[in-house]
Amino acid sequence: MTNARQQTAAISISDRRDRAITLAPAVLVLAFGFLSPLINLAIESLKEFTPGRVGSVENAATTVQNYHELANQAFANVLLTTFWIGGVAALVGQLVAFPLAYFIVRRLSPRMRTLALGFLITLVLSSVLIKTYAIELTFGSVGILRPLLLTVGLSANSREYINIVVIAGLVHSIIPVATLTLMGAMQSIDPRLLDAAQSLGAPGWKAHLSITLPLSLPALVSSTLISLTFAISAFVIPMVLGRGRVLFMSNVIYTRFSDIANYPSGAAISLVMLATALAVISVITLAHAWKSRR
Amino acid sequence: MDMTRRRFMGSAAALGIAGTMTGLARSAFAAGPELTAVEWGGDVVEAMKQIAAAQDASTFNWVLHQGGAGAILPKIKAVWPNVDFDYVAGWEGSFNSMVKEDWLETINPVDIPNLADIPEKIIIRDGKGNIKAVPRAVGGMYFGARTDIAPIAIKSIDDLLSPDLRGAICWPGPTQSMMLQIVALALHAGGSETNMEPGWKLMQDLAKSGNIGRVAVTDIDFTNSLTSSETSVGFFAEPGWAAVAKNFPVTRFTKDSNFKAFLYQSGFGVMKNRPNTRATLDFINFAISPEMSALYAKVAGEAPLNSKASTPDNLKHLAFTPEEFSSFVYVPDYNVVLEQQDAWSKRWEQDIAPLL
Amino acid sequence: MSTHSRTARSGDRVAGALAYGVVGLGLAFLAIPLAITCLMAFDARTFLGPLPPPALSLHWFERLASQADILSSLRTSLVLAVLTTILSVSIGTAAAVGLARGDFPGKGILTSAFLSPLIVPPVVIGFGLLLFLSKAGITNGMARLLLGHVIVTAPYCIRTGLASLLGADRRLTDAAMILGATERQAFWSITIPLMKTGIITGAIFAFAISMDDVSISLFLSDPSATTLPVTLVSNMRAAFDLTIAAAAVILMAVTVVLIVVLDRLVGFDNVVGQGLFRS
Repeated sequence: MTNARQQTAAISISDRRDRAITLAPAVLVLAFGFLSPLINLAIESLKEFTPGRVGSVENAATTVQNYHELANQAFANVLLTTFWIGGVAALVGQLVAFPLAYFIVRRLSPRMRTLALGFLITLVLSSVLIKTYAIELTFGSVGILRPLLLTVGLSANSREYINIVVIAGLVHSIIPVATLTLMGAMQSIDPRLLDAAQSLGAPGWKAHLSITLPLSLPALVSSTLISLTFAISAFVIPMVLGRGRVLFMSNVIYTRFSDIANYPSGAAISLVMLATALAVISVITLAHAWKSRR
Repeated sequence: MDMTRRRFMGSAAALGIAGTMTGLARSAFAAGPELTAVEWGGDVVEAMKQIAAAQDASTFNWVLHQGGAGAILPKIKAVWPNVDFDYVAGWEGSFNSMVKEDWLETINPVDIPNLADIPEKIIIRDGKGNIKAVPRAVGGMYFGARTDIAPIAIKSIDDLLSPDLRGAICWPGPTQSMMLQIVALALHAGGSETNMEPGWKLMQDLAKSGNIGRVAVTDIDFTNSLTSSETSVGFFAEPGWAAVAKNFPVTRFTKDSNFKAFLYQSGFGVMKNRPNTRATLDFINFAISPEMSALYAKVAGEAPLNSKASTPDNLKHLAFTPEEFSSFVYVPDYNVVLEQQDAWSKRWEQDIAPLL
Repeated sequence: MSTHSRTARSGDRVAGALAYGVVGLGLAFLAIPLAITCLMAFDARTFLGPLPPPALSLHWFERLASQADILSSLRTSLVLAVLTTILSVSIGTAAAVGLARGDFPGKGILTSAFLSPLIVPPVVIGFGLLLFLSKAGITNGMARLLLGHVIVTAPYCIRTGLASLLGADRRLTDAAMILGATERQAFWSITIPLMKTGIITGAIFAFAISMDDVSISLFLSDPSATTLPVTLVSNMRAAFDLTIAAAAVILMAVTVVLIVVLDRLVGFDNVVGQGLFRS
């Protein structure tokens, strides 16, 4: 007993040292390559922009105008569009990825599993740019699967149609990433738990609901967050598939940073986007933490 | 010989030198400096590579514009005054920005004798009258249609609101052609770049009509939309129309009093603080010579500005007699247009984008 | 047999059919654009037109092989992706281990901070780095690109590493140590194998994201270091160019060959890892 307690103490001392060593590189890279540029952007966002110039001029006056001008319906719409389309895409992605991951981990022979894994990795490695054009040619306004969407009563020129195509584009990139993320966790679930539940008379779907789902919940939350963050910061996919009519925040920000060269305004939009995303993700994380603590 | 050449090709690739085979082989023996030039991709850089291959004073490292001509500006700003580029290809839009930032070397006409053959009034100058860029060719931005699939024959700007054109128009986004497309609408409705309200009103009607099938945010959006038959009518710069016209029948409404056309110059902006300014100027002088101007026009699809160079037949829509010029071409005040970009793009986001 | 188990079985059948339906449709949805990518790479047309292409040709592949700028940017991209993967996996795996080791004050905040680059659009990261690094005096293209790519890929490695550790039973490490293994032994023989799936998945993501990134590299590349997607996007800007589809097909082929070779040599399952329980 005494021995065991000493052992625990020993672990926690070296734990602290190890923790510092393991976390330091990430902290350093993050502080230099991510935090500092963001602080720099925050400073830029408070500068006054002189139309016709490239970025803010030296000794520009300080102003909150760049934030103030964002308080309008049009900007709120872009923010909302980004989050709802991104959110739907993330959820649809999980709905497909979850059974797919289970299927690959538990239902396939080793050979088929290798094949499936290879397929997923090939998908992850194929260019988003070209996949996006491929989706345009599949579901877009001249796509070969267009009749499918038209039979549901959607006009090819309608906003709903474009939304669906953008979601399809996002989901296509989300499924492989989510499936690979979920597979790791599912491999760690003891299949005997499921057998035990079923031999005790629980129907299979109920056994999954009470065993597979809760045990893979941390991974599912993690994968949903990865998918959501990927979707809301997408740039190329909405740019090509949105036909310039469905805009994401990235597209608006890029416009400010490149051709208009209004850095202060672009920086202000970036920070508003960052704050909103942080809020949404904190809510999800906290809800999950609260639920798992209960 | 073969071995040496192959080795050279390898090291050339390692240095990132792009070039045609002949260009590389020729430049292998050149003793001159290597210049870094920012050019547009596709036919334009192809034309410049051919021009570079015809001289052996300098070798070239070609860098391509990655978006509109404005997309290079943040990258120059970020490293200024240690700029990487000897010259940057641009047009009125980007040159005016660069003049404001004071990035461009002043051009002394003595250094570029061929400048004498370029029309004086197109040359960009700063407030003090110094020459700031060397024009090499002229292109245009105008309305047009892919005639094989356009639902109706378009006679005037009002026809763009016709219910027959549902989803058939490809409209340039707010970063394209400095929003001269909305200036065109304003001109049609009695306004101008200094009185844009009539243009915005017409733009709103157009957005509400449901006729805009795609908003093109890059050149390739425009050509893809028209070649894939997604849309058939639009407003765009000549390179976009030329790309569609390679495979499909296209009519550009350039000599039609119901439409206004805009012309732009394509040219060279020489960057300050570079070690090889002399060689850069020599190359530019060579590139705007009558023979090279003709070669450029043939390959790049922009009409020559050098009065001694002939305009190829396929660019007749870009050649205007003085009378045609005064009735069909509108020359906006580019300084006003440049300073309004920020306000116009915000106006687009607020008033137009939600209607699309 | 009771009625209860009979309804349970028919419920199972419906749920099973539904799950298989989703899996089948999902796989088809994933495969179709890949097939179309391959078709596009062999499209003889020089413009984007409706499918199927009227004629096939290898001209995009010829272009890919003959353009010096494409080849040099391919080399830049490969070097960059390999360096990014090595750095991100090392930094990310270490951080995941550090985070998974029990509770400590500020753990939640640190975890969120590590993952926060994921919620910032790459466009913002690219532009923010461009502005900041120019102030810091770092103008070397490769260094800028590497930093930008590590910033966006390391969070994936941390996440996948964490996910594989969270799913794993921590008591295994404790058990090994109670059985007399030193901490280092327990780390290398229990923790790292448990993380194998996470590490490999993270490495794949890191490599893929780095190879494919457009939005960050657009801002950070310079004449000495330009990545393949940036070169292809710039080429596409003025003229329709499916060289990128040809590049995608070759990359796919390389992936497939790599997987087959790995499977033959060591068994793909061993490389990717199976977690604790084999079926």
